[in-house]
Amino acid sequence: MGRFLLGRLALAVFVVFVVTLLVAWAVRLSGDPSVMLAEGSGAITAKDLENIRAALGLNRPFSEQYAGFLVGMLTGDMGNSFMGGRAVSGMVRQALPLTLMLAALSLAASLLVSIPLGIRAAVHRGGAADQAIRILSLFGLSFPNFWLAIMLVLVFSITLGWLPPAGADGPSSLVMPVLTMATILSATNVRLVRTSMLETLSAQYIMVARSKGLTETVVLYKHALRNCAIPLITYIGLQFGGLIGGVVVIERVFNWPGMGSLAFDAVASRDYPVLQAVVTVLATMIVLVNLAIDVLYGFVDPRVRAE
Amino acid sequence: MRLRLIAASALAVALGAPLPEAKAAGTLTIAQAQDPNNWDPIITFLLSWGAVGSNIYDGLVMRDEQLNLKPGLATSWEVLDQGMRLRFKLREGVTFHNGEPFNAEAVKFTMERLLGPEGAKGPQQSNYTSIGAVEIIDPYSVDIVLKRPDPVMITKLAGYGAMIVPPKYVTEKGSQGFGAAPVGTGPFKVTGYENKVHITLEPSGHYWGGKPKLDKVIYKFIVEPATQVAELQSGRVDIASQVPIGMIGAITATANLQLLSTTGPTVTVARFNTANGATKDERVRKAIVMAVDREAIVKQILQGHAKPVTSFQSTLSFGFDPAQKPIPFDPAAARKLIAEAKLPPGTTVSVDFASNNTVFREVAQAIAGYLTAVGLKPQARPFEMNLFTNDIIPNGKTGEMFAMGWGGWTFDYDNTAYLMYHSGERWNPYDKDPALDAMLEGQRTIADRGERQKALQKIANYVAEHALELPLYNLDTYYGVNKRVKGLVVPPDNRFRLIDVSVD
Repeated sequence: MGRFLLGRLALAVFVVFVVTLLVAWAVRLSGDPSVMLAEGSGAITAKDLENIRAALGLNRPFSEQYAGFLVGMLTGDMGNSFMGGRAVSGMVRQALPLTLMLAALSLAASLLVSIPLGIRAAVHRGGAADQAIRILSLFGLSFPNFWLAIMLVLVFSITLGWLPPAGADGPSSLVMPVLTMATILSATNVRLVRTSMLETLSAQYIMVARSKGLTETVVLYKHALRNCAIPLITYIGLQFGGLIGGVVVIERVFNWPGMGSLAFDAVASRDYPVLQAVVTVLATMIVLVNLAIDVLYGFVDPRVRAE
Repeated sequence: MRLRLIAASALAVALGAPLPEAKAAGTLTIAQAQDPNNWDPIITFLLSWGAVGSNIYDGLVMRDEQLNLKPGLATSWEVLDQGMRLRFKLREGVTFHNGEPFNAEAVKFTMERLLGPEGAKGPQQSNYTSIGAVEIIDPYSVDIVLKRPDPVMITKLAGYGAMIVPPKYVTEKGSQGFGAAPVGTGPFKVTGYENKVHITLEPSGHYWGGKPKLDKVIYKFIVEPATQVAELQSGRVDIASQVPIGMIGAITATANLQLLSTTGPTVTVARFNTANGATKDERVRKAIVMAVDREAIVKQILQGHAKPVTSFQSTLSFGFDPAQKPIPFDPAAARKLIAEAKLPPGTTVSVDFASNNTVFREVAQAIAGYLTAVGLKPQARPFEMNLFTNDIIPNGKTGEMFAMGWGGWTFDYDNTAYLMYHSGERWNPYDKDPALDAMLEGQRTIADRGERQKALQKIANYVAEHALELPLYNLDTYYGVNKRVKGLVVPPDNRFRLIDVSVD
């Protein structure tokens, strides 16, 4: 077991390392931040640009810049933003909790909706409720998330005036971003719960539970749900990366000051330190979540350990 | 437990200290696109900095809404030594928001910091390198001595980089500390700043130029233009600074909103590759200029929110020639010129532009249509913006035509013409014309304003005569504004001075 864990951990570290290297290398191919910084200057000369590059540390060889970044990440010093020189660690500390909160609430809201609906669809397989739920989920799958976001703003902010269209000004600011994310997530989750529930319901122990005279609620939510939770949890782990990716887009539309907004700004201005830090932090989180699932598998299924 | 802590602190950030409602009495809320992250004047060129910074800081000279120079922290100035020495008489009794006195020392400190190693880290220094020294005559008189002629220097002293900063405070705090809690002599002082979320200003209490009518100004940073408009429509901001052309209708259709506009600083042209391809031939270039109907582009695509131009400058620019006549739209004459040029069959003309410019994407399609009509084979080619400005243009990799928008913030044609047409300049990969070089260099040494204006006008006419570019349009600057905002004059340089503004 120890060797299995160690192997998975080494693999995780390797993946994060490769991601940071790729990002640091690719972002440097995409444009010169000193020119972005000087945009609007009428009289910028090659020498001025050279000065700015030197001040940003961009005249050093790539290996040196990358090594500096790695050492910094390990010691918790993520460097300073090219745009204004703020400490990147402070910017990440401000943005990360906001993004995690959005992701967690969206996931929770989605589960609250998709579990009961999925179960209902499975129990009444082929009935009107099943058809309705499946069609609704198809709609959810087909919406691009930003389009849904804009439609919500149009209805709830501009027409009805109930909710703020943007910002992080209070609990009401959370409603539309969470609703958008949760709708998209629920579309797949509902189908997943339905399928795995159908499989579980045909198992013999369900028949036994029913013949013991247990109520349908106890059968469904105590016996069946527990068993179909395993594939659901697995899938949520895999979904995590996509969830974070979705949050990035949604943050921009709702002007939510999280990691997505930070990444967007950093890309636009070629702010290497901020972009590298954001990608590294998010990649590390995605890798950790998947590592945790790998480890859980190992506990649940001895065959995985033996591989 | 740890996760719960993080969630709790996130909730505190999101819920705690909600921003005051836009409707609060005397509070003006403005949506700005970007947060420069640092309010130190020497660090940036972002328009957002100018919009906010112009209310925190003053320069020795300032510009009014018509872009005329007027006294700022200097009450008067003289031009000595054939333009090589500028002498300023300073305003007495002015203090910075932190109580530090404003005097000749502060001016010297500001300029030396801008021109020294700290300034070299940012992009502002490049505009001020013609300054040789700053000499204190007495506590309220100071000379700026130039090491080479720079007729635009007085205007530049109204620019971001020359905003006067408090010596003691800046020395104590450093650029980071100062940039996070800026202190100037302007009508408003900073009372709150949350990176990428908002910056809040309140009247400084003892401004030399009068008392602001507002109690509070909140700038919210909102990148997405559609989101800015949504905030405006729902009454949570009073001014949206980024309004996409397609959403103008939504603003004018709302009863409590209005669109305020003025001549903008940015002029868009399609420049020609004069070194290669079909456009090497002056006749082809002239034919293209005649083939494109600019009036129609402005009316149809830009919905009238722009003016057609005859040269690479706006009507507000120093060097604009009202007598210069536009080359008329004449497809028949264009076809004749193209026939004369005897282009090989199937010669293509590509129109290159930055892909993030959604407005020009439509304009490029229209240009392609006009060129097809006169028998050319056009193709519109979008490039990623950063690649386009960092590689394709400066390294001369464009096709026959490439779009550029340029806004000389000094509103002096020199700022555009020299960079676009002088041999060897970064933005000029193709033209090498000794006659034009001589004219561009010559105007910089003319001290007399009238003479220099004539020299600049001559350059504009020379460029049109040789058809170095297809002049297109000068896009208006426009803002979506709630009608409860009173006394707002939209400045062409985006630097709102909010001292006379009030809200109902």
